[in-house]
Amino acid sequence: MLKTLNQKVSLVLFAIALLYLIYAYQIPSFPYTVVDADVIPKVLGYLLLILSVFLFFIKDEESEEQKARRNIPKKEVGMLLGVGGLIILYIIFLEILGFVFVTALFIFLCSRFLGYKNYLANVLVSIILPVSLYLMFTQLLRISLPSGILPF
Amino acid sequence: MGSLEGIITGFQTALSVEAIFFVLIGVFVGTIIGMLPGLGPISAIAVMIPMTFGMEPSIALIMIAGVYYGAIFGGSTSSILLNAPGVSGTVATAFDGYPMAQQGKAGKALAIAAIASFVGGTVSVILLMLLAPALSSVAISFGPPAYFALMVLGLTAIASLSEGSTTKALISAVAGFMVVTIGIDAQTGTQRFTFGSINLLDGIDFLVIALGLFAIAEVCTLVLNRKDTSLKKFHNIGSLRLSKKDFKEMSGPMSRQSLLGFLIGVLPGAGATIASFIAYISEKRIAKKPEEFGKGSVKGLTAPETANNAATSGAFVPLLSLGIPGSGTTAVMLGAFLVMGVQPGPMLMTERPEIFWGVIASMYIGNIFLLILNLPLIPYFAKVLKIPRPMLISLVIVFSMIGVYAVSFNTFDLYMLLLFGAIGFIMRLFSFPAPPFILAFILGGMMEQSFRQSLTISNGDLMIFITNPISCALLIISLLSFVFPLIGVVRKKKGN
Repeated sequence: MLKTLNQKVSLVLFAIALLYLIYAYQIPSFPYTVVDADVIPKVLGYLLLILSVFLFFIKDEESEEQKARRNIPKKEVGMLLGVGGLIILYIIFLEILGFVFVTALFIFLCSRFLGYKNYLANVLVSIILPVSLYLMFTQLLRISLPSGILPF
Repeated sequence: MGSLEGIITGFQTALSVEAIFFVLIGVFVGTIIGMLPGLGPISAIAVMIPMTFGMEPSIALIMIAGVYYGAIFGGSTSSILLNAPGVSGTVATAFDGYPMAQQGKAGKALAIAAIASFVGGTVSVILLMLLAPALSSVAISFGPPAYFALMVLGLTAIASLSEGSTTKALISAVAGFMVVTIGIDAQTGTQRFTFGSINLLDGIDFLVIALGLFAIAEVCTLVLNRKDTSLKKFHNIGSLRLSKKDFKEMSGPMSRQSLLGFLIGVLPGAGATIASFIAYISEKRIAKKPEEFGKGSVKGLTAPETANNAATSGAFVPLLSLGIPGSGTTAVMLGAFLVMGVQPGPMLMTERPEIFWGVIASMYIGNIFLLILNLPLIPYFAKVLKIPRPMLISLVIVFSMIGVYAVSFNTFDLYMLLLFGAIGFIMRLFSFPAPPFILAFILGGMMEQSFRQSLTISNGDLMIFITNPISCALLIISLLSFVFPLIGVVRKKKGN
């Protein structure tokens, strides 16, 4: 039944629109106002419903280049997920171990993971950059970054 | 004191050695801070205010103004080189600036941005000098209905920002508008789509969306293409030289958009972002080869860069002559004025002409400094592109993270950044354009507010948008600008 990609995408969007509308109908009303807080969300929800139906029926005008973008080898999906995982670890440990330490580790590991082989340059950048950024933000700009296990 | 005498006093202040020295520092610091993602003009000014304590008010304000337009200028660099717009005013710069850098013409792109900014900045300062007193009265006559109509005009850009399917562009815009409804409703205080999370009460920050959809999504593409040798060109900076043809192409957008950008900048609340988007679409509409836009067009880069700088000077009109800040940035500027014991407003021009005209006169000098400071530095900025791909990817991620964290100090926003990065990447895979999303996100909030304010004023009568002459005119222009391209599409199909 679902022949084209647009039809599959449109079903997903239809579901998102429905979900959004369900929540939009739960927005509490406020008595003393002409246009209440739920009006615009409801309009947007229905708009997305209509547009997703449109998308179901239109033919695709994608160029070959746009189609080629979706052909991602399995190994590369693993790379993307790997970088994503590193980012999540970065966020988790940022406030625990501190900006300098976590950023240094992240730059080193992420560059290595993506195939950067010059160890010396990698170590130098991942130490010098976080330290200088940290000093610039905290000392010059007075914007505090998590110090974590650092004493200052 | 007459205006002419005032202007002379202003130039005397602005040309003093002290003023020149501090305007130089101001634009330099502004450019550097503006280049860091996440730190826009607001943080740049806020950082500099404590430094001005003890300084002569006129000199201090001249420096702060320099920081302001320096930061706007610096923001375009990260847009062009990394597709990471740090402030909303430079989102449109990335549309053609980044493709240009990918084609190995980063040097040229930065040079175009520098020259366009200079022209936009300088022309609008001249306009500011001539028109400041008269324009301030027009700006306050812009009520909610007119603002609503202006936002609608901005949104018609969606039709021209799509690459291919208009339906997909509209879906993308509706999604952007939906994201902006998250958080506490400003008018009634009702929570919308917060799912009980305190982190969502304030809504989602602009930076999370901009850096997610553009920078992090670009990181995903870079990860996939990291071994692609056809992208080697990206390492080339190319020549800074612009050909006669380039100048010829730039002259049209520069002359039109410095005027238009200035006028939009005058309106409180509109500012550099809307000016740059409207500049981009209007140039695309009248261009002979609109299909070049988005692929590294000289015009497409010149237009938003001219307009956002022109709007920056325009924003000084309501600030200096009425004491009304039109944007977050000018609100911080207003704070800086008040800290100095200077009350901007109608009396400023007559009572403290050395400040009123001094700040304006110093902008000429500041703009010249920006140009001579930045043109020689372009090859150094562009060295960023020589960084090996795996290292560049890690650095863009780290810079985006710092940018978001330094604004919210909350790791929740970092997860949101990752989420919107994934959304941006998926949108790319399925050919949903990101620009309409961010445009609707930026304009949506203001549009909803002005729509509801208007209807509150009229007690629910929709006619208020038609009876108000400014909004009626703007709505007619919006309708025409939406219908014309559609007619073109239909004709093309018939022709085929």
